[in-house]
Amino acid sequence: MNPEPHSDLLLSVKNLKVHFQGVGPVAKAVNGVDFKVRRRQTVCIVGESGCGKTVTALAILGLLKQPPAVIAGGEIFFDGLSLFDLPASQMRNLRGKRIAMVFQEPMTSLNPVFTIGDQVGEAVLVHEEVSDDQARRRTIQLLYDVGIVEPEKRLNDYPHQLSGGQRQRVMIAMALACEPDLIIADEPTTALDVTVQAQILRLLKRLKQDKEMAIQYITHDLGVVAAIADHVYVMYAGVVVEQGSADAIFSKARHPYTMALLDSLPTKEKRGQRLYSIPGSVPHPAYRPLGCPFHPRCRYCEPSCEKAFPDFFDYGKGHEARCPVLYKSGVGEKDR
Amino acid sequence: MSTESKPMHFIGAGETFMPPSYSPWAQTWHLLLKNRMALAGLLIFLIFFIVAIIGLIVTGGVDPILDPARVRLQEKLRPPLSLPKTDTLRKEELPALGIYLLGTDDLGRDVFVRMLQGAWVSLTVGFVAVGIAVGIGILLGGLSGYYGRLSIRLYHILFWSLVVTVAGFTFHQRFWAAALLLTVTITAVAWKRRLDSRLLPLPGPLRWLAMPTLQVDTLIMRAVDIMLCFPSFFLILTVVALLPPSIYNIMVIIGLTSWMGTTRFVRAEFLSLRELDFVAAARALGISDARIIFRHIMPNAIAPVLVSATLGIASAMLTEAGLSFLGFGVPPPHATWGNILSDGKAYIFDAPWLTFIPGVVILIVVLAFNLFGEGMRDIFNPKLRERN
Amino acid sequence: MLAFFGRSVIQKIVTLFFVSVVSFLIIHLAPGEPSQIDPLNPKFTPEMVERMRKEFNLDKPLHIQYLLFYRNLFNGRIVSWRDNLPVLGKIWERFLNSLPLFIVGTLLTWTISFPVGIRSAIQRDGIYDKSTTFLSYLLISIPGFFFAYILIIFVVTKLHVPVIGMETFGVTASSPLVRIMDRTWHLVLPSILGATGGVAVLSRYVRGQMLEIIGQDYVRTARAKGLSSETVYYKHALRNALLPFVTMFGLILPGLIGGSVIIESIFSWPGMGRMAYEAILGRDYPVILTINFLTAVLVLAGTLVSDLLYMVVDPRIKI
Repeated sequence: MNPEPHSDLLLSVKNLKVHFQGVGPVAKAVNGVDFKVRRRQTVCIVGESGCGKTVTALAILGLLKQPPAVIAGGEIFFDGLSLFDLPASQMRNLRGKRIAMVFQEPMTSLNPVFTIGDQVGEAVLVHEEVSDDQARRRTIQLLYDVGIVEPEKRLNDYPHQLSGGQRQRVMIAMALACEPDLIIADEPTTALDVTVQAQILRLLKRLKQDKEMAIQYITHDLGVVAAIADHVYVMYAGVVVEQGSADAIFSKARHPYTMALLDSLPTKEKRGQRLYSIPGSVPHPAYRPLGCPFHPRCRYCEPSCEKAFPDFFDYGKGHEARCPVLYKSGVGEKDR
Repeated sequence: MSTESKPMHFIGAGETFMPPSYSPWAQTWHLLLKNRMALAGLLIFLIFFIVAIIGLIVTGGVDPILDPARVRLQEKLRPPLSLPKTDTLRKEELPALGIYLLGTDDLGRDVFVRMLQGAWVSLTVGFVAVGIAVGIGILLGGLSGYYGRLSIRLYHILFWSLVVTVAGFTFHQRFWAAALLLTVTITAVAWKRRLDSRLLPLPGPLRWLAMPTLQVDTLIMRAVDIMLCFPSFFLILTVVALLPPSIYNIMVIIGLTSWMGTTRFVRAEFLSLRELDFVAAARALGISDARIIFRHIMPNAIAPVLVSATLGIASAMLTEAGLSFLGFGVPPPHATWGNILSDGKAYIFDAPWLTFIPGVVILIVVLAFNLFGEGMRDIFNPKLRERN
Repeated sequence: MLAFFGRSVIQKIVTLFFVSVVSFLIIHLAPGEPSQIDPLNPKFTPEMVERMRKEFNLDKPLHIQYLLFYRNLFNGRIVSWRDNLPVLGKIWERFLNSLPLFIVGTLLTWTISFPVGIRSAIQRDGIYDKSTTFLSYLLISIPGFFFAYILIIFVVTKLHVPVIGMETFGVTASSPLVRIMDRTWHLVLPSILGATGGVAVLSRYVRGQMLEIIGQDYVRTARAKGLSSETVYYKHALRNALLPFVTMFGLILPGLIGGSVIIESIFSWPGMGRMAYEAILGRDYPVILTINFLTAVLVLAGTLVSDLLYMVVDPRIKI
């Protein structure tokens, strides 16, 4: 059972493995992921596309399509409840009420044939015994909270009448409907313009403070991480390779992959220089290399890396990385 | 960040950690092997094809090995697997196989041999009809999709009316008038081409001839709309009834009345493909239209067309059977499964095999085509493809 | 909105005009004339043929015939060549006979296809899905009249009930209740036959449409809200999956005429399909052309209705 019941630990994912069985060999999309989200904390999960971030999020909510997905191992605890052992009806009550999700594509994530008032109101009505009128007032308040101007008039709009940023605000309003403990935001700003992106991030930060929620924020964009994260998990090829506070990750990254990601970020200091790009590409989930999954692209690779995938090395204050080479040599430690 | 770096010898050293890439055909074959219903359909289709060819060989010609038209009145309505009564038959009347595998019909003809002959006829009806429909469909759909925005100008109409008039004169044997008009037409075309090659417009007084009328796309799509207003089976029936009965008429008419779906489909494919980057790139490289159409667009559009053609063959065979049932089918002496079936209906209680054998065979073959076609449609569905 | 309506009505009228021309040409350019249909009949003397040609304007040029024909059609004065009865009256009578068949068949088709298709989609690749898929292919592939005969044999030999025609001969003398029962019974088999093909095709289509929608992002959103799977499927998914069927609803109107030739022939049902068939056999051009024209009107009206319906149900389309 959960080792820390009723503590400030909200979500803990232990050794989660999700495989996909399609045509051909098994794709191990998530291959042993551990992470924790504490109450009122913003946790960022960073990684390139295809590294298993979204699959992890869907597994938490029980939204994976099985088949082709198979939960091959691991446990998820939410506030003391083991989610994989929960009956379907209780899982359903959890979704939307205590864990809510904001998806990547606001363009396609809203149902085109219902008004936004219907869709936000539905999220309220499904979990709470309120009259239609109360639900309507709540909806207006929610839309107001997420910064929709004149929410009374917008209630009867259809999604196609809104801009991308407005739709994402509606999605967030829907997620907020029952004041959940945890919001999982899966790249909510990727499909939006940069200016809108900044607005949405500010909104999420403000809401987190007002409503005392935890946010699990999934992104590939380190700039976004810098803006909102308390704690960061870096994922590569279905596993977490490094974790630590946002400060630790940005100032003293201890895994070659994290370092490479940071190097490929354009900054003021690097003006005029050729930007770094990681050689090669992310391995296909069904054809991962043995040993450390990053070794074929790693500039610090040693023969031992091709044989076994090392465990975490502790750097103190919750900062851990899975690279023995850097741990032993201390390469790059002083550069940051 | 440190600038020291290890040599990248391990990159691209044969280990890419990517799935092996297969050609589209290998992929299709792989998916087909997994779809058992489609595979069964393909298998039955191949067997049917072989049987039809064997049927053509053994029942065709002046003195066939198995004669489907041999009448033996004393042996009528014998059930399947019955032996011939050797004492009442002359030597040349004996069935070549020594047994009536599928029985005999009301004239004592061997149903097995008739079914063999019918296999080829049904196959040709299906293939020729669909071939015509798909041919027209690809031509018109391609024109409409690729050249749809071009306008038909007055001189195009003038040209075609001249051609028709010339044909009319020739038909009515007024050769002088025809020759005269033909000369005028050819001169006009030659003159226009010379102007075009020098990039000159028509001279002022004739400028009105270049007036645009309709767009190609509008013309073709309205034609499709018009054709779709006719209930297809009723139309086929009407035309078949009006024309002299012949197997070729039936094929051609089924073909000429079922091209609209393909046209719309090919047009939609062309419209979306011509906007794609690879076509734009090809055009930017100055590649000719014909090459773009046949090398770049067609290969991408053809697979789903062939799939719907497979389904079309199935429905053409059913249409043929329906026409035979109503008495407008392929006329004797050709045996088709449709007319064996409809001849048998009079004896449904006395000789049920005359109905059930062709009925079940048609069912199996049409089912095979449908299963194969639908299976291939699933396989070519890009949404299904992505998943593997 | 009004402009769109006006434009499509004009477009449809133009199409109708071309349909009338094309069907007229097909009929009149085909070899053979009604006057030659039965050369061995001693009644068809040369004078008789000449009189017929005159009476039906066959001696005039084609475009005059065309104008005369459609003028008569619009005046309702067009008569059949066989019995000189007004065509429109004959068609109306047959139409009323076909109507119950059509209504029952359509109701069966739509009420069976949707539950079957939706359930197949939800239980994709399950036993239910696989068996309904195979059954649909079987029903699509079976020649209609062959299937009809199998059913007739079954019903006649096992249940000993008459199935041919609209009512049992001599039943008119019985009580109303018996007559209604008799009519209903005669309606069952042809309606089922008319519906089978439709069910097979439509349920496949519903399944495909549903599958496509179930894969959409907004269905995942609905699930993430904590809605029950019934609400997810029957509210969020179904509402979207239904949109294309609105267009199909307009297109079933023409089925009133074209779809039933074979079934009405088998069951000796005196409906429109059978009338068309008889008219073709007898080269009764006025009847053929009128039926054709009315079908075209129905097709065009159907597309117009479905365009309008689509605008009503899909909030994304506004004109």
